[in-house]
Amino acid sequence: MDFLSSDALESLSSMEKISMIVDRVKEGDLLVIEGGLSPAEEAELIETTMREIDIEQFVGIDIFTLEKDERSFFGFSKKRKVGLTIIGPANVMKAVKKKSNFLSMIAEIGDSGASVH
Amino acid sequence: MREFFMRFLNKLLRRDEKLKIGLYGHPNSGKTTLANTMSQDWLGKPIGLVSNIPHETRSVYRQERVSIKQDGVELDFDIIDTPGIATKVDYKNFLEFGLSEDEAKERAKEATKGIIEAIKWLDDVTGVLLVMDATRDPLTQANITIIGNLEARKIPFVIVANKIDMEESNPDRIISVFPQHTVVPISALHGENTGELYMSMVRKFK
Repeated sequence: MDFLSSDALESLSSMEKISMIVDRVKEGDLLVIEGGLSPAEEAELIETTMREIDIEQFVGIDIFTLEKDERSFFGFSKKRKVGLTIIGPANVMKAVKKKSNFLSMIAEIGDSGASVH
Repeated sequence: MREFFMRFLNKLLRRDEKLKIGLYGHPNSGKTTLANTMSQDWLGKPIGLVSNIPHETRSVYRQERVSIKQDGVELDFDIIDTPGIATKVDYKNFLEFGLSEDEAKERAKEATKGIIEAIKWLDDVTGVLLVMDATRDPLTQANITIIGNLEARKIPFVIVANKIDMEESNPDRIISVFPQHTVVPISALHGENTGELYMSMVRKFK
């Protein structure tokens, strides 16, 4: 499991970000990213994933996000912003329960099971 | 009613681009059933094949020059029926529907291409019907990604809470998850509440 800070991704272009994510997930890594991807990057990620699916080994990805409230500078308005993004191979991330501030998932690694809450 | 369509028509006449309404959503959410219902209502013929095996639609279907005739006003636009968008395609899921392994693998390969095609079409559509299966959890990454992209590209859309004819459907869950968007509960299969959907389309896509 890899944890990536938003600073680590900031210096990368969208293309570099997507290839890095897909390459790592294809190798079986589970990525926990601080912040989120832009809508265009999400669409690009799905497109790239579809190109990389090889039917036998890599069947795609699962993405989950946890959002947080963010207040504007003056504190008058607040909007939801992605706080954490979790991306992993679809055949590893088996079950997820999601509520607004809580995410529970089970990753199956080989014959053993690992649980992440 | 007539006023609505007149306003819609006037807006259309001022547009240089033709109105192209794309049907987006998860595999098996009922996009093609809805496209068929719309096409049947307005043209008297269906648009594509439907089945209960996910990813039945694996390439984009386009029905050109669909006309709504309402109160003497006629509107023309295209319906674009797209393959369901998903983040994963596992051929093993198709085996339980009785497909052979080879058929399932072929279907999976075609489905991945179809998803890429559907995403590319986001650049071309001028309005979207985002079809969700009201019996399932609407808060999925595919739905979030589609909505995020529609908002970023300023493409107007209506969320269609489909399959309300099914006992386990819960369109209110979709309404509560997306309170800022227009949600219309319908049954595309039985044509239930489609009149309300057409009115919402007129309001949103005008």
